[in-house]
Amino acid sequence: MHNIFLIARREYLERIRTKSFLIMTILIPLMMAGFLLGPSFLMNPMSRGARHLVVVASRTQTAETIRHELTKAQEEQNKQIADSKKHSLKRTPETPSDLTLDVDTNTSAEERATLAKKVRDKQLDGVIWASDEALAEEKIPFITRDTSSFIQNASIGIGVDRALHREALKAKGLSDQEIDKVLKRLDVDPQNPAGAGTGDPQVTFIVSFIMVMILYMSVLLYGINVMRAVLDEKTSRIMEVMLSVSRPNEMMAGKILGVGAVGLTQIGIWITTAVVMMGGNLVASGGQLKGIITWQMLAAFAVYYLLGFALYSTFYAAIGAMVNSEQEAQQLQFLAVLPLAASLGIMFNVIQYPNSTIAVWASIFPLTSPLIMFSRIAVQIPSPWQIGLSIVVMIATIAGMVLLCGRIYRVGILMYGKKPTLPEIVKWLRYA
Amino acid sequence: MYTIELNSVRKSYDQFVAVDNLSFNIEQGAVFGLLGPNGAGKTSTIRMMIGITAPDSGAIRMFGQPFHRPQLQRVGYLPEERGLYKKMKVLEQLVFLGELHGMSADNARQKAAEWCQKLEIAEKLQNKVEELSKGMQQKIQFIAALLHDPDFVIMDEPFFGLDPVNASLLKDVMLELKKQGKTILFSTHRMDQVEKLCDSICLINKGAAVLQGGLKQIKARYGKSNIQIQYDGNGAFLEGNPLVGSYNNYGNYVEVRLAPGADSQQLLKMATERSRINRFELMEPSLEEIFIEVVGKTDA
Repeated sequence: MHNIFLIARREYLERIRTKSFLIMTILIPLMMAGFLLGPSFLMNPMSRGARHLVVVASRTQTAETIRHELTKAQEEQNKQIADSKKHSLKRTPETPSDLTLDVDTNTSAEERATLAKKVRDKQLDGVIWASDEALAEEKIPFITRDTSSFIQNASIGIGVDRALHREALKAKGLSDQEIDKVLKRLDVDPQNPAGAGTGDPQVTFIVSFIMVMILYMSVLLYGINVMRAVLDEKTSRIMEVMLSVSRPNEMMAGKILGVGAVGLTQIGIWITTAVVMMGGNLVASGGQLKGIITWQMLAAFAVYYLLGFALYSTFYAAIGAMVNSEQEAQQLQFLAVLPLAASLGIMFNVIQYPNSTIAVWASIFPLTSPLIMFSRIAVQIPSPWQIGLSIVVMIATIAGMVLLCGRIYRVGILMYGKKPTLPEIVKWLRYA
Repeated sequence: MYTIELNSVRKSYDQFVAVDNLSFNIEQGAVFGLLGPNGAGKTSTIRMMIGITAPDSGAIRMFGQPFHRPQLQRVGYLPEERGLYKKMKVLEQLVFLGELHGMSADNARQKAAEWCQKLEIAEKLQNKVEELSKGMQQKIQFIAALLHDPDFVIMDEPFFGLDPVNASLLKDVMLELKKQGKTILFSTHRMDQVEKLCDSICLINKGAAVLQGGLKQIKARYGKSNIQIQYDGNGAFLEGNPLVGSYNNYGNYVEVRLAPGADSQQLLKMATERSRINRFELMEPSLEEIFIEVVGKTDA
């Protein structure tokens, strides 16, 4: 045990003093922020400021109803934006935008060409062509330069649809209040059998996705560091001295612990910084956080992060023990990344159907369980035996891998300068 | 008491037998030479002694007990493959290796400073290893092997790559350790280098011992059959002489190997009759010659 501690401490101190540690600590949060906020900022339809649309219909009444519905929808959205500014967690558009709607009753082909030209020349942002023919065909053309901005176009579709419903109901003789009541949108509130609500499902999804990404990235990042640490020993040729004072298993365990502690330090720095910087916001949005990030989730994150890291580290350590240079290692690295990528691939499915057969088995299989079991816990807590089994299986795998890597590493010193073949590695394991 | 005992130790890798039925003992306080050409099985033998690999069969005893890992804290090992953590500072590195050998950090720090003083690299204690010259790195490695005051020192090709100044420095350190009663094992293919230091040797070839025992006894057994002759004038007396088995002319002198049963005094008489002799010296055979002779016989 003492040797493991000494080796881990050496590994930790050497790594934490490097410039690259400092650079990575600063750079990665910046990059993460860039990836998360950049696209949503650029793609946000509401951040485009004022829009000017024209509604064309043969009857003024129809055009006015469409204008009324779209304007109301925009006002509601602007109100939501104003509300959500108080909560930092929900990602909603930052700036409310103005919508100007003109009404036009000329449905001639010439008028359509003129308006289309204005849209092309950017004098207008869009034309809603609700002519009698279009209404009869149940297909309303929306002339716009952004034909692919589906969120914006869909919201216009909903607005037009509601306007036409309102018209039809009015024709049946319903009053405005009655129509409002009929058209009022209902919310469906998902509850588990115990009767507890799950909070905002969107936010749950985003939070668990972010946590899973942290797990994924750090396993990937520090796993490679473990591999380098093992390789370093071989390239500097110090391993023979080390092996004369410590067992190979001790060296493997020490390296994994040392590099793992570096990873935890880095994540600790990030979390502390985040808490200090957004401290006020977190308190303000405490109501929203409650029930989304539970203590169970935080505990699960800690447990599955540590186990996942340790498990993948042993694989990277094995790769490091097998090869003689980083170039050779790169060819084998995909083996370690594959199960991680696979778990990320099925994660979406798991969050939607946390109790499906594939979700249950993937959360117990040791290579996928760190990510999959965590996302299951984030969505809906599985039965305790499944959680217990996944932890036991992972610990057993880690212990087995440490022993195996130790053997590969020990026999690896007998072969310098030559990349081993698989049969050779199997043979090595028998020599030890 | 023996510091280490090897009893019929065998190690094979696949078809290749690296060490074959090897037995030898090293007395406490002795300087022992494990000699042999490249690939003879020296390093494989040492790796089994320090538990990096385990023998397929046979037994190893250390300090009078069956081998177990805690004994390694009393062993200092300088491997043939030299290496240090390049990014670490000299002092930190030595303290780390000392702690692994069971020293306290303070003790290791103090001893490291003392050794660096002794080997004249004290000013480099705070430098990173990668900033040092190769010769200095070698010194650090010697210190790393000796820092924890081991009772048994194993050095695999210790003089390899050393300049004469450092080689002589190391030799002095070794003699000092010997005086302190430490057991030292040298492994090398450069037999001339350890000949001066060793009490006893084991010559191995192709994994098996071909000759072992005290250096003096071995040399005595192989007798003084070599003669160096320095002369003026005609060396023709060597040609076709039945007393001469073979000879090598080095220009300044001739090295003569007597024919079996020949008397050196007879040769001296013959030589003085024909030339002016400046030097006529009976030589002990070098280990290298003995080795070549023994291996030649076993190969034949």
